[in-house]
Amino acid sequence: MAHSTPMNLFTRFQERLSSAGGESHQVGGLAEAVDIIAAHPALSAGEIVVPPNFAQHQQWGAILPLLESKGITIRQAGEPASVADAPAGLSGAELAIAETGSVLLAENSLEARVVTMLTLTHFVLVSERKLVPMLDDAADLLQQFARVGPDQRHYMSLVTGPSRTADIERTLTIGVQGPKTLCVIIISDQQEAKA
Amino acid sequence: MSSKYEPPTGGHKGPLPTSAPLPPLRGAQQVVSEETANPTNENQPFEERLEEALRDENMRRALERFAPSWRTSRRDVFASEEADYGPDYSFAHMRSALRKSKDYAIEHQAELIAQFKAQAEAAGAIIYEAHTAEDANRYIYELCQRKGIDLVVKSKTMVSEETELNRYLEARGIKPVETDLGEWVAQLAHERPSHMVMPIIHKTRQQVGALLTEALGREISRENVAEQVAVIRVEHRKSFLNAGMGISGANALIAESGTVMMLTNEGNGRLVTSLPPVHVVMAGYDKLIGTFAEAMTQLRLLARSATAQQITSYTTFITGPATPGKEMHIVLVDNGRSEMRADPRFKEALRCIRCAACANICPPYQQVGGHVFGYIYSGAIGLVVTPFHHGIEAGAGPQSLCVSCNACETVCPVEIPLPNLILDVRSRVVEAKGLPWLKKVIFGVMARPRLFNLAVRFFSLAQLPLSRGSHYISTRSIGILGRLPGVRPIAKLARWRSLPTFATKPLRDRVKGQLSPSSRSTTSQAGTERPGPPRHQQGMSLHFAWPRPAPSPPSRLTVCYFAGCMIDRLYPEMGEAAIKVLRACGVQVTFPRKQNCCGLIALNSGDRADCVTMARQTITVLEQALEESKADYIIGATTSCVVTLTQDYIRLFEDLQQPEWLRRAQALAEKVMDFASFVDHVLLANGMKLPVRKSDGDDVIVTYHDSCQSINCLGLRSEARHIIQDVLGLELREMPQSDVCCGFGGSTSIEHGDVSERIMNNKLNNAESTGATVLVTDNPGCLMHLRGGVDASGRKMRVLHLAQLIAEQLE
Repeated sequence: MAHSTPMNLFTRFQERLSSAGGESHQVGGLAEAVDIIAAHPALSAGEIVVPPNFAQHQQWGAILPLLESKGITIRQAGEPASVADAPAGLSGAELAIAETGSVLLAENSLEARVVTMLTLTHFVLVSERKLVPMLDDAADLLQQFARVGPDQRHYMSLVTGPSRTADIERTLTIGVQGPKTLCVIIISDQQEAKA
Repeated sequence: MSSKYEPPTGGHKGPLPTSAPLPPLRGAQQVVSEETANPTNENQPFEERLEEALRDENMRRALERFAPSWRTSRRDVFASEEADYGPDYSFAHMRSALRKSKDYAIEHQAELIAQFKAQAEAAGAIIYEAHTAEDANRYIYELCQRKGIDLVVKSKTMVSEETELNRYLEARGIKPVETDLGEWVAQLAHERPSHMVMPIIHKTRQQVGALLTEALGREISRENVAEQVAVIRVEHRKSFLNAGMGISGANALIAESGTVMMLTNEGNGRLVTSLPPVHVVMAGYDKLIGTFAEAMTQLRLLARSATAQQITSYTTFITGPATPGKEMHIVLVDNGRSEMRADPRFKEALRCIRCAACANICPPYQQVGGHVFGYIYSGAIGLVVTPFHHGIEAGAGPQSLCVSCNACETVCPVEIPLPNLILDVRSRVVEAKGLPWLKKVIFGVMARPRLFNLAVRFFSLAQLPLSRGSHYISTRSIGILGRLPGVRPIAKLARWRSLPTFATKPLRDRVKGQLSPSSRSTTSQAGTERPGPPRHQQGMSLHFAWPRPAPSPPSRLTVCYFAGCMIDRLYPEMGEAAIKVLRACGVQVTFPRKQNCCGLIALNSGDRADCVTMARQTITVLEQALEESKADYIIGATTSCVVTLTQDYIRLFEDLQQPEWLRRAQALAEKVMDFASFVDHVLLANGMKLPVRKSDGDDVIVTYHDSCQSINCLGLRSEARHIIQDVLGLELREMPQSDVCCGFGGSTSIEHGDVSERIMNNKLNNAESTGATVLVTDNPGCLMHLRGGVDASGRKMRVLHLAQLIAEQLE
């Protein structure tokens, strides 16, 4: 579908995510991402939960030693109950959509998913080249991921801001059942390589 | 509220209690008569529910506050998308695209189901096709039984409300816990959601605090919403971790990949579908859609229509179980959907994506809430689908509340012709239960022109003791006669809205001798190159405007004037004004004397038989009049009748499969135009000048009410405003919510006077708030209603037809 892009993609992404109550940052590399995470109030206890095998994650695994060098303890997610209300969690997203300020999470592993569902603050890393303008751009990837096969992603979510409700007198309340804070960090490519 | 909420304990217990045999749930009578441990509000008779709702001030305040803010934010979110991304992302474009996608899915259901099943099964899901509500409930119950599950967590699923799953499971010793905050509070109150998106919009924070306090046995704040919300996180965490099964709904079933799409804001949907070892999806067949690309359009329209969000916080796509050991069952529910699909009209209702926009915009819904305006599904769509899921009896009361304002159709993201479908339901109710005797008599008389004429003339005299020669039958004019048994019902009606009197001399008599009844002096080349009004039947009424150019100089135009009963019999002065304006512009006006009621009033009451009689009469009379007068147009100053002539007849004869009458109705529709459009688009647009006198500083300050039929069915908005401001040079002060119904709604204002009165008072308060001296509109139904309200309340405003305002300003 043809469409015009109204403004810089990140500006649009940030504007839309912020109106949904989410934080976002655009950084040049993993080191900068670490600075943002380390300085975040959610890290006051000095611990962050990550999906199992995050250290082996091709793109983001390298962030763990950097976090540790800042004195942050890395905890690998286990049983859901053990992750419930952990102050901070970290995961990676497959895509970011400017039109809606959403990130696409696509994890089959339950342990990986609970990091994004049960922690109080959820940090998401996404590569800048995966920032697309429209929901329509996400449709192709969703379709590809959903295809039957060994790499099928059975469980995917577009996440747009923290958990919210307005059920009582339409009073907006953030952090009902999922994370109370969502912090998306978009990392640009060249710097990624250096880091 | 009776039983306490017990915090969940262990997951899988030993032997299950023996199941209580329950009758199948389909069919209203069983639902209504069934007494269970967990009564819900629809077990009450409709009248009782209505009474209760009308007493609920909190609910009304909440709904009345919500409606305007929703309207504004919804409009803004669509407008900004269109402004940023272009016309492909306009509401109109997207909804037409989604309608096509849904129509395709409805037409190719078997094919798409096969595709969905194949893909979902390949991904490891188990599919069960449930023919009835009972089938669906039983399958889920047996699954619990097999697995020894006695605690189930649920995220929002309207289908489970439809099948009354909670009641079914509870009766058999299984505890279902709603995890959506609003649904949970409703569950604690033993109520159903009163709104599809905001389940407890009818409750105050104080009520929520009290419910939570009672359920949890500890004090929860009655004022602090954040504290109330925090409770759910703690309480439900335990349930999520202990439940053996999670039940969710689906917003879409994506056929190409066998994927379930689900939207939530709270995040409970992801927990329900991830944490328990068994996940059950309940979804109606209507949730099918072909592709991810189409699902994206649904996503955009759903979030924006429901809550004016760009997107919900969590949009989840599940394709089979994600982890080893996890089970995913998909229960596809029919429960009346096949019957809908087999009906050429009602199959359109299967497009619904459950956004609740039709409830949010609905004026009577705002007065009574979703426990009354609907059954389990609320809002306009609830009135339409209830007979299919829960029987005609369950839908009979709620459908009577519709005022036929057509606002729902303007915001429906899948273009469901809701107002027409509600009238179809109404006519089915009438078929099943018969018409009330008084209506039967009235419509029977109206369908017989000579008898009708006599009756009106009789009543124009018989009313004198009650009107005492004034223009109204009001509380004042009735006086102590109101105590007489026969007069009491009339006095009651007149209490809040003075009733109109029949004119002693109807319009047909007043124009006698002044207008040629048929023949025409100048010949016209009409018919061939004259642009007709649009073919409404081809699409949405909103997308059209009347054609601008007139073929011959306007001064040579001839029109047939179609009065409509109200102008003819009650307000001939409005008709005279319209004719005066037309003649002042040099238009030759003829008055077909055989014209009678168009049948709208019967149609609106579900009386198709009498409507057909009147439709045929009207078509025949007007065809003949056109033939004799060679008129270019048929003009009506009653937009309701214009809609009937141009839209309702066509639908009626399509339904009746009477191609010849359909052709004649279509041909007639080409000739019919409303007064405001004719003046603006034909006369003024072609350079015709209205001979307006210079304003002499008289204090005419106008506020304009957009009648529902004018704005929602004919798409009129600029016409009257252009005339009032630019042509007459008068000050126009827009009232808040000028395009919201005045509450008349035909006989609804008599059957549900309380509802009608409240909507009317909102309208009059809005009009009065502008400081205008004249309230103007172009539809006599609204005028009768608003005039009566102004008279009964002693307000000072004048209430005029647009034609009267113009006529006053002529030289």
